[in-house]
This record gives sequence, structure tokens and C-alpha cells, in this order.
Amino acid sequence: MDDVIIKIKGMMCGHCEKTVTEAAKSVKGVTKASADHKKGEAKVSFDSSVTTLETIKKAIKDADYEVIDDDEACPVPGKTAIIEPSAKVADKIIEKIVDKDGEIKKTPIKITGMTCASCAQNIEKALNKIDGVVKASVNFSFEKAAVEYDSSKVTTEELENTITSLGYGVAKNEVTLKVGLMHCASCALNIETALKKTTGIKSVNVSFPLERAKIAYDPEFISVQDIIKVIENVGYSASLKLEKSDADREQRARDEEIKRQRTNLVIALVLAIPISLGDMGRNLGWAFVPDFLKNDYLLFILATIVMLFPGRQFFEGTYKGLKHGMTDMNLLIATGTGAAYLVSVAATFLDLGEAYKHTYYDTAALLIMFIVLGRYLEAMTKGKTSEAIRKLMGLAAKTARIMVNGEEKEIPVEDVKINDIVVVRPGEKIPVDGKVVNGLTAVDESMLTGESMPVEKTVGAEVIGATMNKTGMIKFTATKVGSDTALAQIIKLVEDAQTQKAPIQKLADIVAGHFILAVHVLALLTFFFWFFIGFEKFNVPSTFGMGMASPFLFSLLISITVLIISCPCAVGLATPIAIMVGTGKGAENGILIKGGEVLEKAQKLDTIVFDKTGTLTKGEPALTDVIAVKGSENEVLKLAAIAEKGSEHPLGEAILKGAKARGIDVPDAESFKAIPGRGVEVKYGGKRVLIGTRKLMSENGMDVTSLIGKLEELEQNGKTAMFVAENNEIAGIIAVADTLKENSREAVANLHKMGFSVAMITGDNKRTAEAIAKQVGIDRVLSEVLPEDKASEIKKLQAEGRKVAMVGDGINDAPALTQSDVGIAIGSGTDVAIESAQIVLIKNDVRDVAKAIRLSKLTLRKIKQNLFWAFFYNSVGIPIAMGILYPFTNPPYLINPALAAAAMAASSVTVTMNTLLMKRIKLQE
Amino acid sequence: MEKKLGIYSLVASIVTSIVIVLIFYFLAAGKVSINPEMYKPIDMYAGMVYVFVLSMIVSASIWPGIIEKKLKG
Repeated sequence: MDDVIIKIKGMMCGHCEKTVTEAAKSVKGVTKASADHKKGEAKVSFDSSVTTLETIKKAIKDADYEVIDDDEACPVPGKTAIIEPSAKVADKIIEKIVDKDGEIKKTPIKITGMTCASCAQNIEKALNKIDGVVKASVNFSFEKAAVEYDSSKVTTEELENTITSLGYGVAKNEVTLKVGLMHCASCALNIETALKKTTGIKSVNVSFPLERAKIAYDPEFISVQDIIKVIENVGYSASLKLEKSDADREQRARDEEIKRQRTNLVIALVLAIPISLGDMGRNLGWAFVPDFLKNDYLLFILATIVMLFPGRQFFEGTYKGLKHGMTDMNLLIATGTGAAYLVSVAATFLDLGEAYKHTYYDTAALLIMFIVLGRYLEAMTKGKTSEAIRKLMGLAAKTARIMVNGEEKEIPVEDVKINDIVVVRPGEKIPVDGKVVNGLTAVDESMLTGESMPVEKTVGAEVIGATMNKTGMIKFTATKVGSDTALAQIIKLVEDAQTQKAPIQKLADIVAGHFILAVHVLALLTFFFWFFIGFEKFNVPSTFGMGMASPFLFSLLISITVLIISCPCAVGLATPIAIMVGTGKGAENGILIKGGEVLEKAQKLDTIVFDKTGTLTKGEPALTDVIAVKGSENEVLKLAAIAEKGSEHPLGEAILKGAKARGIDVPDAESFKAIPGRGVEVKYGGKRVLIGTRKLMSENGMDVTSLIGKLEELEQNGKTAMFVAENNEIAGIIAVADTLKENSREAVANLHKMGFSVAMITGDNKRTAEAIAKQVGIDRVLSEVLPEDKASEIKKLQAEGRKVAMVGDGINDAPALTQSDVGIAIGSGTDVAIESAQIVLIKNDVRDVAKAIRLSKLTLRKIKQNLFWAFFYNSVGIPIAMGILYPFTNPPYLINPALAAAAMAASSVTVTMNTLLMKRIKLQE
Repeated sequence: MEKKLGIYSLVASIVTSIVIVLIFYFLAAGKVSINPEMYKPIDMYAGMVYVFVLSMIVSASIWPGIIEKKLKG
């Protein structure tokens, strides 16, 4: 007995499935057959001694369906020879490094998206072709590849990219950890560096503003607990991010941080004022300052309190970092404030000579005050940047009312199970996703889709968890709960996007990574210059004044200013914070952008390709024309509706709906016969009614020559036209068509205004496609494209030098979405399309394509502005702090260390504030 | 390997810092002797401490990477 899967084109509904199944079963020797129109295939079991595969295919072809040829048909995975050897290989994949000296490594890769054994062979071939791969075996049933490779020639990322470029997915073990105690972008880089050095870590993205680390790892080498330990060892805290009440906990943690920095700021501010008055009052001879404030010992005590309480965080951070060879922002602050404090302590307690009578307690205290002020403002604004995701998390309902033994029972939302009947009253939140089984209501879905109009929901309609039930009471069956709900998926998508880095960030990362070292080198060189050359050459004691007599103290102050003014934070924050706000704003508007890379690609787009069915059109045919040849229009329509009542074909359903909409009563036919590829024949009231193609009419002896013109006219307008005949006499013509969505025309017009070339891709014939394109205003039509060829059409456009975005919704659009530079999936589409796309439009509104592109441009503009500001600030601030203006200004200009601290604090706050301005901009034109 | 890396890096950083401090010392001593009015020994000693701290920070950031490469390779 042989089992085969035969790929079939042209099946559209349950009726087609039935026809194909029956056609296959009609062949002698076929024991079992079942067709699936969604998958476009039929599974057939047959006795090869009685019949052949070719005979079965012929039978299916005779039923007017297209069969995809042999090499594309897949044997059913089972006890075939392909599987067994690979299974042995899979057993071996636990082997880790086999040859350390030769750097030959083995790695298992979990693959998704394989549909048959030939997929496994394709992947295997592609992997084996890569230079550096010693041996690759792919096991279809285990969905795993075992690759032996030379790590000096090829990386696991390249292996994975090869698999994904073939259109398959690579499943990674990923974990998102909540990371605490990070103070700047350098901390995030430190954690990344530490993790990247760890065996078993495949990729890592640490987001400082989001306080998250997204890590792809190999569980055969490292566990999540080990990953947490690595992070803790470099001085930060890490914990598994739990979904439940995450929003509350995050808010609490943020509130605690704000409270902590506020307390620090109050202490620093209260003490810095008397310290500054005392120190400066003595140094500058201010008479209004009481003498007791000028006392060195009092100043020492007050400054020590500042160092021990608000300032402690910088020294602790520095110590933890240095213990593991890491440097961060804390080190710059600790070196600067520590030096000023220690010099002052030495001057207070030791007799160092006349030049050392001055103390710098004010400098140390003011530095800490300004930096703490910066941290406080940052903690406040950082909360605002992640507001969108917190809002989304906060949307989830806390409880649900379900039916238990006929009675309503309130339970926590986490306890709702699939198939529970959930009751929701007007004004209540819908707790989970489901399908309405009873009731009628209007639901406000604006929180998820941005759509302001409530959506009517009746029996059979789908409801989304976290949306608001407005008018009526409904009962629905829970279909998705917990992390499977639409809300949970959206949150995951946005979070993933926010932890991903844009390519533009690479430059910022390189700069931020070496920034602290570079600043220390500059501080050292500055100290050397002013100590040995500048102090004497520019005669500082007489030109600078303020009793500055020590070359050491003068050089030290300038060197401290260099340390303090430099701000790696602004550089490190510039990109992630803009991505965070941009993706958050997108989520609020029903636009999900999967990461920073998309934002950059979206800038370069010049061509937008729309899939027709389901994207530009509603994807459901509707009755458009009724032409009566005999009797009235309603009589013709009634005949057609009676004929199609027993049909499950979408065209038949459209006619039936059209008749009902005109209030026509449609009785049942006495008999029903589907004529595959031709139409339908029924008996009603003793009459024979036919509906179908001109061929059907001709075969039944009717002359349709005089009506062909009208029929073709309808077809030219993209409609499917059928003749209706009663007792072998033509009664009229009925036309149905897939109608345009209300906003398609506006969406295309908007894109044209933005300068995009807009194309439409469809499997329809040229005439139909052009008719639709004309209606919607599209200038380029790619018609008669088979679903599997959509990706190659996109490739052709790319070969013309175009940067293409593909907008689609179906499974068959997935390869094209992947092939395009930016794949945009309409949210009403299939999971596969959403998975393949880089931008997902939650609302079923094609106008959001323009909005998504506008948002991408806006976000990238903010990134560029932020980076410009961060680099500009540092590249201007540091040279001024080094004293570059001193020789050229009169009186000589030097930045005060306290002013430098204020500027530094302001720079990262400026970056954050500039980004937050994005929230005010509307995405509409 | 980790332990070796740590010890080698520490030794290399201390040696580098001492070398830089010595350079500072000789240059500063020259200044003190040439211009004793402006440069006092206290400036020189205090400067040596500060230079050592900064040199340690810089060299402790540079050496581990270099030594790790050498050990691996």
C-alpha cells in the first residue's frame, strides 16, 4: 500500500474537496482519499499493484482540477528511507565540540516550516554547499539539522541565515530577562560582551531603556539559570521576566527607582547649597556667607555625607564593574568626584603649602547633585518611553465570568480555559479571545486597533481579549487564552521589536563601547598637557586668577571636567529610545513594526506591491449585476439563488446573499447536481434550471451568441459572469465580483502622493486584474501570477533596482513577503503571513501602509537627530572641557566642573525629551 | 585560562602604570628643579597618584583584550 500527497491547484471550498476526493476514490485500487482545499493537497492511499499514481492524477485532472507534477508532489513522511538515517544523526547531535584544535564544531539547529522530506533535502544540500561546512544532515521528522562545520570559516548565524533564505524558519531557544542595576548604555554593552563570551549563547540584545535582555541560547550548552549567573557576576541583577502582572511590577520598580533618585537628589541639593556657599565664599571672599560655613571641617563632614549617600551608587557601580574588568559611566563620575573630594580632604588635614589652601568640596558636591538630577529626570522620562507597552499590558482584564453547570462564576483571567463559555455584560472588558455563540453587541476595539468606531459582533464573530463590550450582553467560546491571545502576541511582538537593534546603532555601539576608555585617555593627556606645558605657557597663576597657584590642582580640575562632561549615555540612548517610542507609537495605532532594521529599510522603499485578494479587495465575492433576458431581474436572481442554494461554492454564496439582500425568498430545489468546471443544474417546480459558463449553455443546445458582448463587458470589468437558463432558455446573466475595500483607493492615492510606484499582484487573468487596478488607481499590474511565483515577481522588481514592499494577507503571500525588502501583513491575514512580515497592520485597513512608512521615516529621523546631538555634544563639549578655548579667550575660558556635570545630565535628558516629542506627532497626513 | 588572564592583565596594567608614572615623575622632577617657584614637590607627588589611577584605568581596559588574543593564539 502506498501513501502519497498530491498537490492540487484550483480547490476553493468544501465542495471542491468533495469533488477531488470522489474523483480519486473513483479509481479502482484507491483505498483512502481526502482532499484539503486550504493546503491545496489530497492524501491518497492506493494499492500500487492495482493502479498507478498517474491514473489517480488523471482522474483528478478529469474533474477539472490542476495537478502539480511528480517532482513537486511529496511522499507522506513515514516509514521511508529518508527518515531513518537522519534519525541516527539526530541522536548524535548532543555531541558538542568534537575537535577543539581544528575548531570543527557540531551544532544542532531546530528548523520550522518544512512540509515534506524534500524540504529537508533542499536544506541539507544548501548547507553542504557552504564553504566551511564539513557535513550537514537534516531530519524532517525531528525538524532538526545537525551541522558539522569549521568555525573559522563559517558561523552558526551564517548557517541559520542560509536556512531562512530558503524560506524556512530557525527556531531558537530564546529567553527574555529583566535586567536591573544598569545605569547607562555602556552597562548594556558590558552585559552583551560578557554573554557573548559565554559558550552556548547564540545572540544577545540588551536594551538599557527597556531593562531587558533578549538572549538566544543553546540549552545543550547553557541553562537560563547559568545565563542569569553570568549577568549577576558582572554586577547586574537578572530575573526571568514573568508575563503575569508584569506591568504592575515594572511600574513598581520604576517608581522605586524614581523615589530613590529623588531622595538622593534632595540630600545632594540640601547639602550642596551650604557646601558651595562655604567653599566659594571662602575662596572668593564672599562676606555675606557666615564664617561657620567656611569651616573646612564642617565642609568635610557635609561633603562626606554627599559622597556616602547620593554619591555611593557611583562608587558601588564602579567597584562591581572593575571587579569584572568592565567600565561604565559610573567610573567617569567616580574618578571625577573622587579626585576632587580626595584633594580637598588632603588639603583639609595635611599642610600641603600655600597653593593647597583651597578645597574643592563644592565641586564634588555639585557634580553629584547635577548627575543625580540627571538620573532622576532620566528615570522619570524613561518611564514615559515605555508607556505604550505598559498601556498594552495594563489592558488585560483581571477576571472573567464563565458558565459552570449553567451558572455564572467569576474566576481570574489566567484560569480561563479554551472552550469555556465566557459571559460579558455591557461596559465590561472582554477577558480572552473567542467566538460569539450568543448575543449581539458593539465592541470598542480602539485600544488594540486604533479604530475609533465600535465594531458590531453577532453570533460567529470573533472577539479579542482586552477590548471593551459596549452595548449588549454576549456569550462566547474562549478560543485563545494566556500567552496565545492577540494582546499577548502583540505585546511579545512589540517587546521583541524594542530589544532588536537597528543597523544604524552599530556605529553608536562601537563609539559607546570605546568611549569610556577614550575619555580616560583624553583626561590623562589633558592632565599631562596642562601640567607640563599649559600651566607655564599660558601663565595660569596670573591669567586664571582665583588664587590658582598649583599646576597639579589646575590640571586636575580640567582633567576632572573632561571626565565629567563626556556622556556616553546620549550616544547609547539615541537609537534604542527612538525605536522604543516609535514601535510603541506604532502599537498604539495598530501598526506593529518588528525591529529597528525595518525602519531603515522602509526609508529606501520606492515600490509598494499589493496582493489583490483580501488585501485591496474584501476577498469575498459579492453580487454586482443582474441582467434579465426573460422576466424581471428579481426573477432571474431568484432562479440563480435557487440553483446555488445547495452549492458551497463562494460564487454561489454571493448570489444567495445578493438575493436575500433584495428580500427574495429562496425555496429549496428538488434536485441538485454540480457540473465541475461548468456550473450547476437543479430541478425546481418541474423546471430545469442551469447556471454556469457559456460552455454549459452551448453543451445544452442554447445559443448565447447575442449575449456574449454583455458577458465580455462584465468580464472586462473584473467580474465573473454566468448565464442563467430555465428549461433550456436563457433567462439572464448574473455577475459577481470580489469588491474593493472602502479604503483601497484612498490608500493607493496616498502612496502615489508620497511618491511611491504602486503595483498589484494577482493570479487573475490580465483583463480582470487590469479592471480592478483601474478602479483602485494602480499603475502597474502583475497578473496571472501563480501563488508560488509571487516571490519571483518581487525578485524581478528588485532586479530592476527597486526597493519593494509587499503587502499581503494570505499563506500564499508568505514567500513574497519574505522576499520583499519590507513585508507588510494585513492583520486580518493568516498567522503565516504575519510571521513572514516585518510590519503587521492590526486593523484591516490598507491606508495604514502609508502610516507605517511615515512612522518608520519619523523614527529614523529621530534616531539621526539623537545621534547627531549626542555626537555633536561630545565632540564640542570635550574639547572645550580640555581647555581648547583657554589660549584664545580673554578672560580665559574654562568650563567649571559643576557646569560640565549639569551639561552632561542635560544631554541625555535632551535625547530622551527630543524622542518623546515623537509622541505628539500625528501619523495622518 | 580565566585566572591566567586576570593575573597577566593585572601585572601588565601595573607595569604600564608604573612606567607612565615614572615618565611623569622624571618630567615633573625636571620642572620642579627648573621652576621651583611654580612647581612644588607636592604637585609632583599628587600628580603621580592621579596619573597612576588614570593609567591603571586605561591599561586595565586595554590589556585583557590583548592578552586574551595572545593566550588564544
